Amino acid sequence: MFKYALDLVTRRKLRTMLTSLGITIAVMLMTFILFGMTDLQRAILTQFSSVFKPTDLYVSSQEMRGFGSSLSAPTKEAQEQEEEVIVDDGIKDEIEEIDGVVDVYPMFFLSGFEVYLGGDDVPYPSSFIQAMDLPGDDEMYGYFIGDEVVLEDTGIFISDFVPSYFEISNEEILGKKIILKSSPTTSFVPASNRNRIDREYEFIVQGIVDTSGDSFWINTSRALDILVETGGFEDKDEYTELVGYSQLLVSTEEDKTAEVEEYMVEELGVNVISTKTIIDFISTLTSGLTIALVIFGSISALVASIGIINTMIMSIYEQTKEIGIIKAIGASNRQVLIIFLIQSGLIGLIGGVVGLAVTFGLMQLADPFLVDLLQEQGFTAIEKFFFFQPVNAIYITLGSILVGILAGIYPAMKAARLDPVKALRYE
Amino acid sequence: MAYIEIKDLKREYVMSKDVSVNALRGVSFDIEKGEFLSVVGSSGSGKSTLLNILGGLDWEYEGNIIVDGKDIKEYDHNFYRRYVVGTIFQQFHLIPSLNVEENILLPYKFSKRKGENINQRLEYILKMIGLEDRRKHLPKELSGGQAQRVAIGRALIDSPKIVLADEPTGNLDSKTGDSIVTLLEELNKEEEVTVILVTHDRKIAEKTKRIITLVDGRNV
Repeated sequence: MFKYALDLVTRRKLRTMLTSLGITIAVMLMTFILFGMTDLQRAILTQFSSVFKPTDLYVSSQEMRGFGSSLSAPTKEAQEQEEEVIVDDGIKDEIEEIDGVVDVYPMFFLSGFEVYLGGDDVPYPSSFIQAMDLPGDDEMYGYFIGDEVVLEDTGIFISDFVPSYFEISNEEILGKKIILKSSPTTSFVPASNRNRIDREYEFIVQGIVDTSGDSFWINTSRALDILVETGGFEDKDEYTELVGYSQLLVSTEEDKTAEVEEYMVEELGVNVISTKTIIDFISTLTSGLTIALVIFGSISALVASIGIINTMIMSIYEQTKEIGIIKAIGASNRQVLIIFLIQSGLIGLIGGVVGLAVTFGLMQLADPFLVDLLQEQGFTAIEKFFFFQPVNAIYITLGSILVGILAGIYPAMKAARLDPVKALRYE
Repeated sequence: MAYIEIKDLKREYVMSKDVSVNALRGVSFDIEKGEFLSVVGSSGSGKSTLLNILGGLDWEYEGNIIVDGKDIKEYDHNFYRRYVVGTIFQQFHLIPSLNVEENILLPYKFSKRKGENINQRLEYILKMIGLEDRRKHLPKELSGGQAQRVAIGRALIDSPKIVLADEPTGNLDSKTGDSIVTLLEELNKEEEVTVILVTHDRKIAEKTKRIITLVDGRNV
């Protein structure tokens, strides 16, 4: 029976191929979604894990100043109206006392500045500046190019993206001037706060970091000076009292991370972001996106299955006499049904295998380009994007066969119910 | 008791609310086991209807057909078509993409008698129909006579008790037609199979031992 069904499929090659094409397209779409999204998730997590240690926790006020809202630098007026836990020296001291905490590093974030290389009129496109008191070769930054240096008040570390943007070598940029200019057009500064406008801060490049992010680092003391001045605060004490640190990086012992996180949230009332939280968030996000895309893919599979139904019905009309013959010589309704289901399943299989093969080929071709593109965008830990997973390939192939069979059910039933006498007379 | 008893067989086709055709109006006759007979009649006499009923393709009839003491309505329809009767058609009805061997073996593919020495049976049939050297040929590479021989081989592969031949010489020249009738005669003797040949050609019918004539749905 299988050979006979195969014969029916191969007898009209062009039509079989055209019908399979629908499945091929659906499979390509589904494969790119399933493989692509899994690979994207892996890429993000790989990159994320290369930058963030699982034992690190990021503490900020309940207002999540640490990540999203850090783009909007605090002002005195705004801060006075808010009631929240301030991540200040008091909180820092309390955290340092928690069992399992190895170290606590205060951080400030500055935004809304244009960053210029001395003597150059074009600003660097990213203006996000971090402040941390760490030696230059600390792994927190990434890989430090050059000797260990302590960041001075007038010093700045830059990522290796900066010299490449200004088209000069790493050696040439060391010792050069970096100017931060406050600019209302690049920030979310309230119109009432004019202190931030037209101020300039000069720094000397002290070190370069080979990192995945394109950032600038200055020391916390200088950062605080700038924040006080641009925010309209009286002095540093007033700033730390009202605003506090942008974030605290809490380094923990390996098996105490969760415990420390829970304590800080429950007892100190601060907001804590752990590497695990972010990984979970990324996984949820990509999974949700995958489901949405799979729905789109399924719609294309539905369209393909309509194509198969159409072809199979046409096939019944063409093979009516033949169905009559095989029934006359003893084929049962069930056998006719099975022959047609095998036929439609084979169409699904052909479409699936061709789709997988084409997708696999495209993945191999596109992989180096994608990796280059991602590395240019800062995903430096990515060495390969697409990972062909045989298990997924098997699922996709089985899925294609299933779509073919499901699409073939109605035509197969129609064929099985044909009256052999009428079928034999059919012209 | 005869091997096949056809009793008061009637078949009415309802074409529409007001129009119906009585293709068979009460056909009755007996056939002995191993008999070689023909059913003749002009167009519209009910020959094909009788053949469809005897061949297990049409079950909407009145009356009874008893084969080997059992009403054929008691048989499983597929079993009846596979093992009780083998049918030969005027237009041969071979599957164009299957070769001679595959066409002959096709009923076997649908049968449940697996494990039997089918190759031996195939060789025997190929020899009997004289197409041993054409076994790999496709239907389009055969003459009309050869194609009809393949159809006969196909009808015999599952060793049916009855062979029904519907105008088997209708598409052949007289010489080839004669050879086909001779072949049917041989298999009737060698296989001891009952052969019912339906034809409108009296000359062909006269080669059989008995002739049943149908006129307007009745045997006369």
